Amino acid sequence: MHDIDIYSEHGQLSRPLAWSLGLHLAFAGFVVFYAVFINSFRGTGWGSGGGGDAMGATLVSAVPLPANPAETTNVLATESKGLSKSQPTVQEKEPEAIPIPDKNTKTKIKPAPAKSETQRKAEPETIDSNQIPYGEGGPVSGPYTMSAGGAKGGFGFTGSGGDFGSQYAWYVQAVQRKVTENWLKYEVDPHITDAKRVYLTFDIARDGHPSNVQIEQSSGVPSLDQSAARALQRIDTFGPLPSDYSGSKVSVEFWFDYKR
Amino acid sequence: MVLTPMDTRECKLSNSARSVRYQTFIALTLLLLSTATSFAQDWIRTGTGLGVERVRLAASDFKSSTSDPGNPALLKTFNDTLWNDLDNAGIFDLVSKSFYPLQVPGQPSEINFSAWNSPPPNTSMLAFGNLGAAAGKVTVQGWLYDVKNEKSPQVLGKQYTDTATSDAVRLIAHRFADEIIFRLGGGVQGIAETKIYFVSERTGHKEIWVMDYDGANQQQITRLGSISLSPRISPDGSRLAFSSISRGGWEIMMYSFDLNRMVAFPRFGGMNLSPSWSPEGKIAFSSSRNGYPNIFVIDGSGGNSRRLTNDQGPDVSPTWNRKTGSQIAFVSGRTGLPQIYTMESDGTNVQRLTDQGYAVSPNWSPNGQFLTLSWMRKYGPGEPGSNDIYLMDIASKQWVQLTHDAGRNDFPCWSPDGRHIVFQSHRSGSDQIWSMLGDGTNVKQLTFKGSNTQPNWSWK
Repeated sequence: MHDIDIYSEHGQLSRPLAWSLGLHLAFAGFVVFYAVFINSFRGTGWGSGGGGDAMGATLVSAVPLPANPAETTNVLATESKGLSKSQPTVQEKEPEAIPIPDKNTKTKIKPAPAKSETQRKAEPETIDSNQIPYGEGGPVSGPYTMSAGGAKGGFGFTGSGGDFGSQYAWYVQAVQRKVTENWLKYEVDPHITDAKRVYLTFDIARDGHPSNVQIEQSSGVPSLDQSAARALQRIDTFGPLPSDYSGSKVSVEFWFDYKR
Repeated sequence: MVLTPMDTRECKLSNSARSVRYQTFIALTLLLLSTATSFAQDWIRTGTGLGVERVRLAASDFKSSTSDPGNPALLKTFNDTLWNDLDNAGIFDLVSKSFYPLQVPGQPSEINFSAWNSPPPNTSMLAFGNLGAAAGKVTVQGWLYDVKNEKSPQVLGKQYTDTATSDAVRLIAHRFADEIIFRLGGGVQGIAETKIYFVSERTGHKEIWVMDYDGANQQQITRLGSISLSPRISPDGSRLAFSSISRGGWEIMMYSFDLNRMVAFPRFGGMNLSPSWSPEGKIAFSSSRNGYPNIFVIDGSGGNSRRLTNDQGPDVSPTWNRKTGSQIAFVSGRTGLPQIYTMESDGTNVQRLTDQGYAVSPNWSPNGQFLTLSWMRKYGPGEPGSNDIYLMDIASKQWVQLTHDAGRNDFPCWSPDGRHIVFQSHRSGSDQIWSMLGDGTNVKQLTFKGSNTQPNWSWK
């Protein structure tokens, strides 16, 4: 009885064993085929032919250097451009969200023409032939830029439209000092050690009161954006605008760099 | 863009269609021009991230503009006062006078920009001017120039005239310094004309005295011949509340600067101590009329008494949030050693701020963000340290120690510009009034005679 059972089981195993053997052989054949043929088509992706150079290293006097780092940063730059370009296409569906991606892509100079349309009505026009249109004057080298000491990202105002920045540099620096005094860095999430620059815009009225505080470009860190906006909220006044300044207000773009 | 008269005449003479076209052209041109000018809307682009440097300021000695024999004395008073005010402001990096050019200007026309805006002085700002006495009157002309901006250097130009006395000249210097601080300090009024009220024992009794913010011009106010403590000047500067012992015990007293005498104020019975003015003119104080010392609030006239705390632990030394007037910080011993608490001005939402030690004398900063207090963090026999002045952020309860290893320090009080703190210290061997910047630097002794305690800075 027992023998019969055993023999019958042998008979039942033969067919699955054959399947198993056949499939294993087929898989092994596929691996060989893949390694020999298919992988050869994309060989540049792995080591980029460096293997041959490495073999010849004893023969060649100069070791081939890695690619120029400048090229790699270029690659990264184009990648980020691609990312930022994809955002406006998504947000075209919501017309209200369009202004923000515009400001994201612009670096420093572009936003003013957009604002100028709204400010045109507010400000009566006096035509000065010697005034430089916004963005065409190049970076203004105010008297205070000297004190920046060449520190990267330090104080400097680039491309001020009228001559406010150059004529009242002392006021600009007072604004900068006051905002810095009121920026409490401990409000930023302590886990953040480094963040992108956050841009704020606001207006200063004649009496020095800041208004219309807006986060123009977020840093991506909500607590940092908040701390920057709060710095402005704490300020009652920057002091009245210079008495001989004719405008009714001054617009400020202010950036915050955060590093711990 | 430019239409010559010839063009316009031609346009009028020709047919009306052309005229319309020209008018459209003109209108479009004007529109474009207005757009172009709107580009000239002034934008400031700046930022922060590396901290800010103080303004580098040079204050050259004013020159004599007349040949009056009294000029040198007045000039010395003026120059010393101006220099001290700017030095005390805490926002300037004053350039030492030894770096100045030999020829200092007394008029704008005398400025040699390159001598100032490059090393050794290498200054950004220059304050200069002249002073002249004639026929009992003194005239001071003062300027503040941005010497690195040669095209439009003038920031400030002022002229003052007053009687030719030392006090008047000192006042002019204070005013001119305040103008400079106001311009360069972001719209915060300077404190050069503020006063400090304090308790002095130099007459043998503890009386209330007043002095200028720099310690000059000390004068006695009360002559009660008893013990007067805790002077607190009202927000408008017209009245002074303090606590004094009289026949009935400790009571809140009131001195009027309009009448220059004591004025009547209600007596409450029990022990009434440490009054404090709110920005709206209400007074919070500690009274034990119901048994235990608790915080009460009354109107500036003494009416409408309301009790805010109700517990056995002594509650004393209330101080209002000077910005909002909606919160009160006070000292309570309800858990043993005195600690700092805050509550709303109606007595709700009591919160403890200090976690240990012996904490007294809270004072609220003008911007409402900070408390200064006197704190002995480790209290008990053999413990190190003494009463030191601390700064505490109300929202986060983070604190910073401002005085170190300098005897007992107590009764800190903020200046109205929020940049200075005046306090009482025993570091010189006796209790005297000292002042420092809000970060604990630039410590200066203001009083020297007798024993002087419990300073209170005026509101403006």
